[in-house]
Amino acid sequence: MGREVKKHPIIICRCEDITLDDVEKAIENGYTDLESLKRVLRIGMGPCQGRTCIPLLVRILARKLKKKPEELLIPIIRPPLVPLSLKLFIGGESDES
Amino acid sequence: MRASVSIVGGGISGICIAYYLTELGIKDVIVVEKGYLGSGSTFRCATGIRASFTTEEHIVLMKNSIEMWKELSESYGFYYLRGGYLWLLSRESDVEAFKKYVEFHHSLGVPTRLLSQDEIRNLVPGIRLSNVLASIYDPLAGKACPFEALHAIARECKKRGVKIYTQTEATRILIKNNRVIGIETSRGSIEAENVVIAAGYGTKSLMKTAGINIPLENVPHHALVTERFKETFKPLIIDWSTGAYIVQTKDGNFLMGTEIEEEPNIPPTVRIDFIPRIAKIWIQYLPWLREVRVLRYWTGYYVMSPDRHPIYGPVDEIEGLYIAAGYSGHGFMMGPITGKLIAEWIVDGKPSIPQAMRLTLRRIKEGKLIHELAVIG
Repeated sequence: MGREVKKHPIIICRCEDITLDDVEKAIENGYTDLESLKRVLRIGMGPCQGRTCIPLLVRILARKLKKKPEELLIPIIRPPLVPLSLKLFIGGESDES
Repeated sequence: MRASVSIVGGGISGICIAYYLTELGIKDVIVVEKGYLGSGSTFRCATGIRASFTTEEHIVLMKNSIEMWKELSESYGFYYLRGGYLWLLSRESDVEAFKKYVEFHHSLGVPTRLLSQDEIRNLVPGIRLSNVLASIYDPLAGKACPFEALHAIARECKKRGVKIYTQTEATRILIKNNRVIGIETSRGSIEAENVVIAAGYGTKSLMKTAGINIPLENVPHHALVTERFKETFKPLIIDWSTGAYIVQTKDGNFLMGTEIEEEPNIPPTVRIDFIPRIAKIWIQYLPWLREVRVLRYWTGYYVMSPDRHPIYGPVDEIEGLYIAAGYSGHGFMMGPITGKLIAEWIVDGKPSIPQAMRLTLRRIKEGKLIHELAVIG
């Protein structure tokens, strides 16, 4: 018998550490829309705000549902488009003043 | 399709109504939701749960709801924490008003109390209190995770035989001889002996199809979350003079919002002035927030009734038709008690808590309004 090949998890969401296996299980558990998947897995809710993982998630779900990606309701992209420190919004004032 | 009760709205209210109907033995219940579960106000809310209100009706109902939140979270394993509410007061007039509220809370069994600055610092390490004259703590208050809570209760409903149809929009209430006979939806009609409309602002237009006018206003509110941190403080903190709040969610994000002048009943837009306003308020109390990054900013609605209390229960004109809407920003926290009261109204003909009887649509027609003053965010 040859050595067993160790199966590495396929990471879909790097911010929240969600694997392909997690995604497939959630879909099997009945979360078949992107908004619910996003919230159940927290996929797309980390610092990248879904830039990497949501397109992957769209493709996985479309394949599972046998739909075209454009038929799925894509989550709204919220501002700010990249994570920004709160201090950038308060101008030059110091909290000491 | 047919059911003994059909519920419009798959948010915390609609799902809790379905749940408590099953508790009372009614299992053929259909819930229709036009988007996905929680897509209205439930998943946009600030997650807080409190009984420290200013009217007997709100306090009594919310005290019951808080006990139910505990039982539900233990039974179905979702996050609920009694981390308290901390009200920071920076105006002399507010301190006087809140001293009276504390007495009123005590008379109804809500253990709010004034805190010393040391006690506040123990609850919220590193908080700056230079502007604070006094602060009130409500240890009974807390927070839950809307996603977990709604899905956990919905899962239990399905297990008990409730049918939940998402992406299904109710378009009309069907009536015959002043009696409800069902609803028309985007996927065909549903026959039902009882219909509950728990559809947020959508309740207004649906009730209009039954010839009933409900005075609801949809007021946009704004909120943001930051990146995640380990648990820093447990209470939801309120800056009463600006109506701003901040709370750390189960996952560690800081969620905050504040009052901002808005026109009612228009689609919400992103406001360039929102983030600076909220950032200034909370950085003044928690200077380390300067370095904390905002992940996203979204809008939701407070569906306001004329007196900031929900409109509950049956309507006089049409038999079998019930309303549960107009929470004015408190629908999530009221979810369990809403579910129980509406289920009792349907099954027993009246709710078990007499204060709820004062919250029907009739109070508005008769001008018997009950004004809530402590609406925040």
